[in-house]
Amino acid sequence: MNRSRSGPRGLMVAAVVVAIVAAACGSSTTTTAPIASTPAATTAAAPSPSLVNITPAPIPAGPGPNGGTVVRWFIGLGAGTQPAQIGPEQAFATAYNASQKDVYLSLEIVDNTQAANILKTEVVAGTTPDIIGPVGVEGLNLFRDQLLDLTPIIASTGYTFSGVDPKLVDFFKLGDNNAMVGVPFAVYPSFIYYNKKLFDEAKLPYPPSKVGDQYNGKPWDLDALRTLAMKLTVDKSGNDATSASFDPANVVQWGFDSALQDNSARAEDAFFGAGSFLAADGKTAQIPEYVKAGETWFNAGVWTDHFIPNQNQAASALLGGGGEFGSGNLAMDEGHTWFTCCVAPPKPAKQFDFGFAVNPLVNGTITSPLHADTFSILKSSKVQAAAFKAVTAMVASQALLTTYGAMPADTSKQDAWFKSIDASFPGIKLDWSVPQAMLAYPDVPNHQSWLPNYAKAKTALQAFQNKYRTTSGLDINAELTKLQATLQSIFDEPQAP
Amino acid sequence: MAQATELVQARTPRFGRGRWFGTESRREAVWGLIFVGPWLIGLVLLTAGPLIASLVLSLTDFNLSNPDAVRFVGLDNYAAMASDPNVRQGLIATVKFAIIAIPLTMVASLGVAVLVNSPKLFGRNVFRTLFYMPIQIPLVAGTLVWIGFLNPETGWLNGILKLVGLPGPDWLNSETWIYPALALIGLWGIGNFMLINLAGLQSVPTELYEASRIDGAGPWTMFRRITIPLMSPILLYNVVICMITTFQYFVVAYTLTNGRGDPNNATLFINLDLYREAFQYSRMGYGAAIGWLLFVIVLLLTLGLFAFARKRVYYAGGEA
Repeated sequence: MNRSRSGPRGLMVAAVVVAIVAAACGSSTTTTAPIASTPAATTAAAPSPSLVNITPAPIPAGPGPNGGTVVRWFIGLGAGTQPAQIGPEQAFATAYNASQKDVYLSLEIVDNTQAANILKTEVVAGTTPDIIGPVGVEGLNLFRDQLLDLTPIIASTGYTFSGVDPKLVDFFKLGDNNAMVGVPFAVYPSFIYYNKKLFDEAKLPYPPSKVGDQYNGKPWDLDALRTLAMKLTVDKSGNDATSASFDPANVVQWGFDSALQDNSARAEDAFFGAGSFLAADGKTAQIPEYVKAGETWFNAGVWTDHFIPNQNQAASALLGGGGEFGSGNLAMDEGHTWFTCCVAPPKPAKQFDFGFAVNPLVNGTITSPLHADTFSILKSSKVQAAAFKAVTAMVASQALLTTYGAMPADTSKQDAWFKSIDASFPGIKLDWSVPQAMLAYPDVPNHQSWLPNYAKAKTALQAFQNKYRTTSGLDINAELTKLQATLQSIFDEPQAP
Repeated sequence: MAQATELVQARTPRFGRGRWFGTESRREAVWGLIFVGPWLIGLVLLTAGPLIASLVLSLTDFNLSNPDAVRFVGLDNYAAMASDPNVRQGLIATVKFAIIAIPLTMVASLGVAVLVNSPKLFGRNVFRTLFYMPIQIPLVAGTLVWIGFLNPETGWLNGILKLVGLPGPDWLNSETWIYPALALIGLWGIGNFMLINLAGLQSVPTELYEASRIDGAGPWTMFRRITIPLMSPILLYNVVICMITTFQYFVVAYTLTNGRGDPNNATLFINLDLYREAFQYSRMGYGAAIGWLLFVIVLLLTLGLFAFARKRVYYAGGEA
C-alpha cells in the first residue's frame, strides 16, 4: 500500500473532487444513483401530463399576418395541452384570425407540469403573454398580482354575461379588492356520484336527486349520509359497518369519500359550508367553522365508523390504487362535473351503472363546492383591448368548450355538453338536473380562494389531510390548532407574495 | 549514439530528470490534466456561470412571483436557514436516510457483483442483465409500482410477511419505517454500482487468488485480504458517488408524496426542500442559499471521505 504524493497529482485530485461534486450537485444526469434520481422525473400526480411545447411562430414587430394586433395566448396552466386538444385550439385561432382583421391570436402551448414555472420566468423576463387560460382558481392564485381587473374594460365595452347566473359572475371576483380577473367560461359544481350496483346489492334506495327530497322518510342530511354510507361499507364476511360483527381490519367495500383532487381538508370539507383560512384583516390565520365540523366528521368516518377509506385503503388495489370510484368498491363519492373523466373501471371491466345525487343538508343548508375555468388577461399586456376582444370570442366558442370537456357557465350551452358526456356512457341515464341544481349553491368564498404565500399554505393544508388519513386516534381539534399556527407562520413570512 | 543522446537532452531541458516534468508520475499527471482539460473547460464555461449566478442570487430575496421587489439581503438567507425548521428537518431526514441507504447499497451491490462474478453461477449473464435491468425503468414508474408493492393493505411485501407470521409495518406512512422502505426501493437500482464492482472484481489478478489458495487461504480470507484491498479505489468511488446522490435524493420522495414530505415531513429531504422553496414557493434567493449549503456539505463530506481513505485505499503503483 505504498503511496507517493506530488503537487500536480494533489492538485488534480482536488480539482477532480470539486468537479465531481459541482457536476453532481449541478446536474441530474451525471450519475445514475442506486437510490436517487434519473432525469425522467415528472410528477405522477400532476394533472394533464403531456410533452407539449408549442411556441408561436415568430411574428415581426407590428401587426400580425391578418393585419390585426398580435395577442399572445398562453395555454398550459389548466386544460388545453392534451394532444387531442391542440388541433382544435389551433383551428380556433386560425378561424378567428381569418374572421376579422383587428386581432391576430398567437398560441403558446406549454407542458402542464411546467407551465407555472415557465410563466413565472416570462414574468421575470418581461416577456409575458397577454391571455392565460383556460385556468382554474388554483392557477389564478399563483399569478394573482399579475392579473388585470376586467371591470373597467367590461364596462367600457358594454360586454354582458348572457345566460350566466349572476352568482357565477360574482364568483370570478377573485382578485385584490374583489377585482374581476376572469370571464365566466366553464363551471364544475359538485354533487354525489353513486354506484347503483352496490345500492341494488344492499337493497337500498338511491339517494335523492332533487333538492328538498327526503331519504327513507328522513331529511337528506349528514346523519342520513353517514348511516347510509355505513350500510354500504362491507367487510370480507359480508357484514356492513352497522353490524356488531363488522371487521374494520378487513373492509372490502366502502360507503363514502370525497373525490376532490386537492387532497386537502379545505376541499373535502367544502360541502359543509364556505369560509376562509384568512381572516377579514387579510393577515390572520383562522380555521373556518366548516373545516372544524368537516374534519371531525371525516376523521370519525375514517377511524371510528370506517365508511371512509384511510390513506392506505384508498391507495390499495381494492380501491384501484387511488381511483376509488372507478374501482367499483366505493358506493358514493362527492365530486365535480369534471369527475366524469374518472369513473370508468380499469379495463377489461365494463362500466357499471352510476347516478348523481344532490349534496346533503349541513345545518339546514346545501353547499356545492365549485370549480371553474376562465381566461384572464395579464396586467402587463400592452394590448388589453385587443386581448379582451379575443377572450370574448374564446368564452363564446362551443368548439373550445367541447374540446376542454368544460361545462359551460352559459346555461344555454349546457345541453350540448351534457350530450357529449352522455355519449361516453351508452346505456347509462345521467340526471343532469343534479349539477344544474347544485350550481345554485356555490361555496363563496370558494375553498380554493387565495391565501398569502399560497403554494406553501396549500402544502401545509395537504400535510394536515395526510396526517389525519394515516393516523388513528388523532385529536383533531389539537391538530387544527397546530395547523392554524403553521398557517400563521406561513402568512407572516416576509417574502410571501 | 552518444552525440544523439546529448542532442536530445540539450533540446529537451525542461523535461529532464529533476525538472517539473521529470518523473514518470508527474508526466502522467500532466497528461491526465490534458485529457481531463476539455471537460474542465466545459465545466468552467457551462457550469461556473450558473454557479456564480446562484451564489449572487443567494444573497438576494429574489422571488419569481414578485421579481421587481428584489433586494440585496447579504447573508440573511443563510442566517434564516439556521432557524428554519424545514432546513433542519431536511438535513436530519437526509442524514437518517444516508445512514441506512449508503451501507445497504454498498454491501448489496458488492454482494450481487460477487454473486454474478462467480463461475459457479449458472446463467451469469442472465443474472447480470436481470440485476441491471431495473436501472432502465423510469424512476417515477418504478416508484409507482413500489407504492403498490409496499401498501400495507394489499401490497405483496406485507402479504409475504403475513405468510411467515410476521406483522407488516405501514411502510410509507410510518416515520420509522419510511427510511427502510426508501432504502428498499433504492436497492432496485443498484445495477450501476454492481456493474462497476463487477469490473473491479474482474480486474483483480487471478494469480493472487491461486497463490493464496496454495497458502491455504479460504474464500472469506481471500475476499477480505485480496478482493477488498484491491477493490478499495472502486469502493471509494462508489461510496463518494452514492453519498452525493443520497444528498441529492429527490425523485422517489417527490413521487411518493407529491412533494409534501409525508409522513410528517419525514421525507422532506434537503433537496426536496430546496426544490419546494425555489420552484413551488418561488423563493429563488432562499432556494439558492439552500443549494449552496448543500454544496458545501457535500464538498466537505467528499473531502472527508478522501482524507479518511488516504491510508486505507490501495492504488497499484502508488497512485492516489
